[in-house]
Parts: sequence; C-alpha cells; structure tokens
Amino acid sequence: MFELLFRYPASSFAKGQFVLLSGWPVWLLFLAMAVAAGALGWFWWKRQADTLESIRGWRSAVLWGLQAATVAVLLLLLWQPALTLSTLKPQQNIVAVVVDDSKSMAAVEDGKPRIEVAKKALDSGALAALKAKFQTRVYRMSETLERVPDLTGFHAAGKVTRLGDSLQQLARENTGLPLGAVILVTDGADNSGGLDADTLKDLRSRRVPIHTVGVGRERPEKDIELIDVVTPARALADTRVAAQVSLSSHGYAGTKAKLTVREGGKVLASKDVTLAEDGKVATESLLFNAGTAGARSFSVSVDPVAGETNSLNNGVLRLINISAEKPRVLYIEGEPRWEFKFIRRALEEDRTIQLVTMLRTTQNKIYRQGIAGPKELEQGFPASVDELFGYQAIMIGSVEFNYFTTAQHELLKQFVDRRGGGLVLLAGRSALSDGGWARSSLAELLPVNLPDRKDTFRRDMVGVDLTPAGRESLIARLEEDPEKNAARWKKLPALAAYQEIGTPKPGATVLADLTGGRKTPFLVTQNYGRGRVMIVAGDTWRWQMQQPLEDSTHETFWRQVFRYAVSDTPGRVLATTPRQVLADENKLKLSVDVRDRTYLPAADAKVEVRVLGPGASGGMVELQPDPVTPGQYTGEWNVDQPGQFVAEALAKRGEEEVGRDVFTFQRQDGVAENFHTQQNRELLEKLASQTGGRYWKPEDVSKLPEEVSLSEAGITVRETRDLWNLPAVFLLLMLLKGTEWLLRRKWGVV
Amino acid sequence: MKIRTIATAAALGLTLWSGLFAFQRGLRSFLEEEDNPAPFPSDGHEKAEFYFSRLRYPAMRNGYFGRAGGSWATDYPKADRQFLQGVRRLTRVHVRSVEQVVDLESDEIFNYPWIYVTEVGRWGLNDSQVKRLREYILRGGFMMTDDFHGTFEWDVFMASMSRVFPDRPVVDMDTRDEVYHVLYSLDERLQVPGIQYLFTGNVDERDTTGGRWRGIYDDKGRLMVAITHNQDLGDAWEWADHPQYPEKWASMAYRMGINYIVYSMTH
Repeated sequence: MFELLFRYPASSFAKGQFVLLSGWPVWLLFLAMAVAAGALGWFWWKRQADTLESIRGWRSAVLWGLQAATVAVLLLLLWQPALTLSTLKPQQNIVAVVVDDSKSMAAVEDGKPRIEVAKKALDSGALAALKAKFQTRVYRMSETLERVPDLTGFHAAGKVTRLGDSLQQLARENTGLPLGAVILVTDGADNSGGLDADTLKDLRSRRVPIHTVGVGRERPEKDIELIDVVTPARALADTRVAAQVSLSSHGYAGTKAKLTVREGGKVLASKDVTLAEDGKVATESLLFNAGTAGARSFSVSVDPVAGETNSLNNGVLRLINISAEKPRVLYIEGEPRWEFKFIRRALEEDRTIQLVTMLRTTQNKIYRQGIAGPKELEQGFPASVDELFGYQAIMIGSVEFNYFTTAQHELLKQFVDRRGGGLVLLAGRSALSDGGWARSSLAELLPVNLPDRKDTFRRDMVGVDLTPAGRESLIARLEEDPEKNAARWKKLPALAAYQEIGTPKPGATVLADLTGGRKTPFLVTQNYGRGRVMIVAGDTWRWQMQQPLEDSTHETFWRQVFRYAVSDTPGRVLATTPRQVLADENKLKLSVDVRDRTYLPAADAKVEVRVLGPGASGGMVELQPDPVTPGQYTGEWNVDQPGQFVAEALAKRGEEEVGRDVFTFQRQDGVAENFHTQQNRELLEKLASQTGGRYWKPEDVSKLPEEVSLSEAGITVRETRDLWNLPAVFLLLMLLKGTEWLLRRKWGVV
Repeated sequence: MKIRTIATAAALGLTLWSGLFAFQRGLRSFLEEEDNPAPFPSDGHEKAEFYFSRLRYPAMRNGYFGRAGGSWATDYPKADRQFLQGVRRLTRVHVRSVEQVVDLESDEIFNYPWIYVTEVGRWGLNDSQVKRLREYILRGGFMMTDDFHGTFEWDVFMASMSRVFPDRPVVDMDTRDEVYHVLYSLDERLQVPGIQYLFTGNVDERDTTGGRWRGIYDDKGRLMVAITHNQDLGDAWEWADHPQYPEKWASMAYRMGINYIVYSMTH
C-alpha cells in the first residue's frame, strides 16, 4: 500500500535524505509560497464585498487556505524534491546468508521443522533476488561456521549454537572484502550465553547491518523448563544441602508439578510446586541429604506433565564433591553445665564432625574430651596459629572474655577472618555481655550489638519463634517440609535459660527469636571475613529431656549448627570452577586459591592441576598467578570429550607441598540444544537494531533484498530518486482542488 | 449472713492459695519428712544450673509415701545441703544450695537430669514409675543409688531396677572407668560406712562384706546408673561435721559424689 502511493519502500524514506534538486535556493521557494499566498489572500480580501453571503467570513478563509496549499505544492514540485540514499552497487557486494543448522532448528512446529520453514522462506524468491543483485554466500552455522554452496545439506543436527562466535568468525573471514550485509536465519536459541558487549561492539564497528530472520515459535505452547539449578560445589558427608532451582513454564499456570532430586535413579527428595504464570521465572529450593563421601552427581528434574512439547529440558545434572574429611571443632566451656553434656551427646552419632572439648571443672582444672592424643590442648586453649588453625570451627560457652589473653583474642579474630573458620558463641553466666564481650576487641565479629550491662543471662523458660529467614534456612530445618518444620518449631519445649543479646547488626541474619514481650534474637549468624559467626542465645537441652527418646530434634539441630560452622571453612588450597557440569562445551575455567601456613595468601607458589578423564585420558596444566589478586592462580582446560573427570590441584612452594584439593567435573553432550528452544526474538531484534539491520519474520522475507541494498557498508553508490512524480503527490493535488470544488458547490458559489 | 459469706470465701481462698503453692514448680518443702533438719541458706531460692535432686518414691512394704513406710528422705535435708556446700566450694558447677525433691509422678523430673536415690533396699516402683524412670534415664538422665546393704536389700532393689532395664546387665565397675577420673582420681575406692560405724565398729551393716561399686551402661558405654552397694555416702555427707566420723570416708564420699555429678554433666 505504502509502495503504491509512495513508489519506494518506507525504509528508503527512513534511510534517505530529502533534497531539492533544482539548485535554486530554498529561501526563494518559501518566498514564492509566501508571495503567492499573500496575493491570493489580497484577492479574496479585495473581493470580500462582492462575494456572496454564503461564503463570507471563515468560509472564505478556508477556500483561500486550500488554494494557497495547492499553489505551495505546485511550487514545491517546481523545485524538484528528491530522495538521495546510498545503495549497494549490484554485483559488487557480498551478502552473506547464514542459516542456523543446530538441533534446535529441528523442532517441529505446526507440522514443519524450523529448518524447513527457513529454507522455504529463502527459496521462495528471496535468495534468488539476492543472487541477482549481489554476490551471495551461503553459510551453515552450528558449532562452527561453514560455507556451503546452497541450501541442501542442512540437517539441523548441530550440537550447539554459538551466535557470537560464528558472527565474529564470519566478519573475520570477510575482512577486506566488501561485505554489504549479513542475513541471519535462526531461532536465536544460543547456548553459549548470548552475545556479549564486545562482540556487538566489534560488529557495529564494521558497519555491516545484520538482518535477522527469526524462525520458530516465540513462546512454546506447553512446556516446563528448568532454567538453572545452583548447588554447593562441596559438602561434608551426611549433610543436608539445598538446591536452588529456577524454572519457568508456558501453558501450565496454576497446575502442580513435582520437583525431584535423584541420584542414580533413586529419589532423594521431592517437592510439589505450583507452576507460575507463563514466562515467569520461579525459584524453589529443594533440600536433600548429600550422602557419604565421593564425587556424586545428582539429577534435578521436574517430572514431565501431560502435553509437554519438550520434556528434554526438564532436568539438569549437578555435581557435588562430598569430601571425606572430618572437620574438627574445639568447644571450650567455662563450667560444667547440662548444655555441654547434651551437645556432646548430640554429636556422638555424627561420624563426620569431630568434637574436641575442654571444660573448666574447677578453678584450675581442665577436663579434655575428644582429643587426638594426650598432648592436644595440654597447655590450655591454643595460643599459636598452628594449633588454633588446625580446627575448622570454635565454639565458646560460658567463658568470660578475659579468660583469653590478648594474643588469643587476636588469634580468634584471624581464625574467622583469615583462616575462614566458624565461631559459635553460646549463652551462659559468663558469656557474651555477662562475660565482658560487649565492648571487647572481638565485638566486631559478633552479629549483634551486645547490650552493655550485666544480668543478661536469665534462668527462665522461654520459647522460640522461627523468623522468615529461619524458615528458609538449612540450619533450622528439623523437618524436610517447610510447613511441618514451622509447626515443629512451634511445639518445641521451652529453653531452660536464655540470654539477651541486643539488636542484630545490618549484615546479620536472624533465624529465630525468643517469644514473649521483647523480641530478642535466639539464633543469629553473619559472615565475617572468610569465615562466619553464630550466636545461640539459650540452653536447648530441654529439647532432648522433654521430648520422647525417638525424637531427634536436639541432635538434628546441633548437627546442623556444627555443619554450618565448618562447612565453608577452606583448606590451604581451594580449587573452584564456575560451572562443574559443561553442556556441549569444551572449556573449563579453573581458579585455585593458595594460602601459607598462617593462611595468608601465598603469591609464590607453583600450582599444577592434574586431570583424569574417561578412558584414562587426561593431562596436566600449570596455572598462572593472577596479577591482581595475590594467592590466586588461574588457567583453562580443554575438555575434548564428554564424560566424568577428576582433577587434583597441587600447590607447592619450592620443595614444600602446601596442599592439595580434589574436585570433579563433567561434560555432557547433546543436552545444550534442548534448552532455551523458543525463538529468542529479543536477542535477534537487539542484534539487528544495534547493527543497522532489521528483524524479519519468515513470511516477510521477500522484501528483504530491497532493504538489503540500502546498506552503508560495502561498495555503495548514492542514488537519487525523484519525488515529484509520486502518485501520492498527484492524489494530494486532486484532494486539495477537489475539496475546494466540493465546498464551493456546497456553499453555492460554483 | 454477711460474715458467713466472707468466712467461706476466705476459707476457699486459703485452700486455693495453698493448693497453688503445692503445685508450684521449684522448691518443695517436706518439713514433716525431715530426717535431720538443716538451716535454710539465704540464697536457697536462687535459680541455678544444677539441683541436687532427691527422688521421692513409695515404699515397698505398703506403697505409701512418707517416712513411716519409706525411706527416701533418709538424711534429708542435712546430707544434701552439706554435700552441696562441698560441690560449690570444690567445683565450678553452679549449684543451688538447697536440694530439690523430685518424683516419678509427673514429667517434672525431666527438668532435673541428675537424681539421688537413697535406701533403695526398701523401694518398690509401680509400672508407670518404672516406665518413666526408664525413659528419664535413656533420654540422658543420671541416677545415683545409695545406702542399701546386704543381699536381701539388693534383691529388693533389683526387683524394681530389673523392670526398668530388663535388657541391660548390672556390672561391676572397674577403677579404670572414666567416672573415677573425671575430676578426682579414685584409683583406690574406700567402702564408706554410715554413722552406725561409730556405734558398732563394723563397716558392713548386713551380710555382705566389702563395698560394691556397680553400674548400668548405655549402648555407647556411658554410665547411666551408678550403684554404691553396702555403703552410705549420704551419711558421710550428713556427718562430715561430726568430730568422730573419720575424715577419710567423708572425703571419699564427697569426691565420689562430685565425680558422679561432673561425669553426668560431661557424658
């Protein structure tokens, strides 16, 4: 329609420049228009008296306006208006047609696979038109970019889509050649993380417009997709871990689905979730017991719901390294008390955590339990780095601040900050405020601002309430089901004693409060440096004595408290990788943190990573020190085949071995293309608009060749298109005169 | 008419008030049961970590509570309070200077994880008491028995005890057991006689000779019930201030009692 009236497509008007070809100055045009309008006006004015009644006043003005407009248009036409634009010189330019051949293009929608839709769109004339005007090159894009002679041989079997890499490769291959435009036919379902800013910048700087043709449905009809699952990379044996699951669904708003965690086919935990509205990303957390030591892979999935178009994107695999280490916790108590006895009992069954305790039974006697040998803690509470940092967490009971020396205070601070250990403080007669911890040098470690007075420890029974944060937390999870857990906490027996610990600091998390009158925290945690600090502000032993023998509330609670205290405490060598499960990818980024004996960063170590893969494949890579962060070493490993891999990072300083760390990773092939399969219109539109192209639907592709020629890249020529002979102009003149005639007739002047 | 109403109201009120006292948690006075009165210390009402909990039980003979029938209150309260003074002076345990009387009639006993039972040679527990005692000990409670002598009293004791733990044997305790080394090292254990020694000159009271130290352990090898047979630690505590009562036995009684307490608070 537009073309019918205006002869040229709208994009020409958008891209082109409006000029007047006659060479006469523009001001002359305006002057002429003004003079003509003025003359006409004077005419009308002069003949006002003579004119008929029916057209006096505003009607004359209307007629005058119409006549003036007609004259103006005619004058404009005299000045020869035209449109100049640069167009690609035919046959002098290359146009690249890139067609996505990855597995996502095989998805069948409305009876036709996407690749067929793409081929049809091109074959129906667009490709031929392009070939007529330009040198056309056809490329196939999947894991790599490959030039092909024609559209045969596209099987939609590629394992991955890497848009950014492919486009950059294309640009590189055609450097120096007059590449006029790129036509990208794809569903945009990229698996390598989309286009980053650098790639876009690079493409923009070449000024090659990329026209994207989006194939595939933008919204899947009925599908549930697991977008991501975050699990901790490591855990202690027999610990409950949380998997944070993000999922989205289409066409299932309000229905129930089952989220499960399986290991080797066995279901470890499951949860019923209600699916959100279309497209909304929902997060759920699923708790499960990680099991005994070893490299374990867990499959987190949503059970397929009836009618799902794609059930291959319902599950992902995650690896967790369950370490065989047995962390040691030192618990120092200032006086014999029931809480001490029952905490020791709660940890008796725990095979993972080793509890070492020292108790001041009399003024001068210390009773040690759980020690590795008679020499351990012989001199009392550790006073040296080696001795103290040998533990992963410290628990302090009813011990006044001044029981420790100043050096020990500093050691405790470094234990948490530098070593990354956990510190747990209990309530007691000589604990916290009552023990002089309020204005002490360690007050900054504490997650609360302790009240500056004595008499904060009370032997009164009081209940506890979970806070919203506590309901989500792993530490306070006595029951798998959150609802049942909250109910269980409500029914717990009262604490035997409690301590007022003041107000929580901004960065602290309060997991439970004491009930009754003033809200004061019972269970509060915060991170400090590389470590973490927790306060348990009450005696919990009545949870054991006042509940039946079979009840394991007390044991579960304390086991989880200890696990929190030790779980992220690192060793001297800590290896991390951003993603442990690689989906159709081949690069693994490695990072190792190395510390010396006092847990200061060791910048002079030599770090090697040995990898063992399937079929005894493997190798070794040496990591390079990070120039910015001392003690960090980074590198990359090429994962050339799918399978499970074990890697060990070994750090050495000279001849001395600093430590080792083991981690596992896995490469899975054939899964990446199952995810994010809907057309990524947003990405394609962004890509097109940022580079000067346009987004097209397959049915509009026939207009593509015309638009392609309007590029500014490649070899262009400036074209001038006349505007005076537009049908629209003719119609406009007709309209003006016609209106004038009709009005005159109406008012009886013709 | 008015006076009668007031009087009735007052009477009712008093009854309710005293009833309230009777059921109050905390210190329970059994003045009529006192075997050997002792002064009530000024801090006797404070709340503490550890309460010397004396178990009140029905007698075997006639099932009544009370001294005439039973002997749970033997040496009460002097032995208790004198012993507590020693605990207070010699350890860092926060004890209340006055004892606590507990029984197996309610779940109140679960608030006191250490109990002392004396003259168990005359006790007789019914089924519900047996059940509660078993639950109490298995959850983490510690029981110490004292002042029973000879084979007849042993059999009476076992008649109830074997119903509490039919599945666990009563074993002789070795001096190498941890309980004898938690605080004081008791490599040599002395048989502690009661005050009757001053009159009879015999350490043994009945047909058994020599002291017996026996115990019942849990599955983890922790001592749950400490049984001192043919001895009378309660008397030693009670008569520690008697000029003629030998110091060596008084000391042994204190040390053993303290070891039991510290053991129960650390295992």
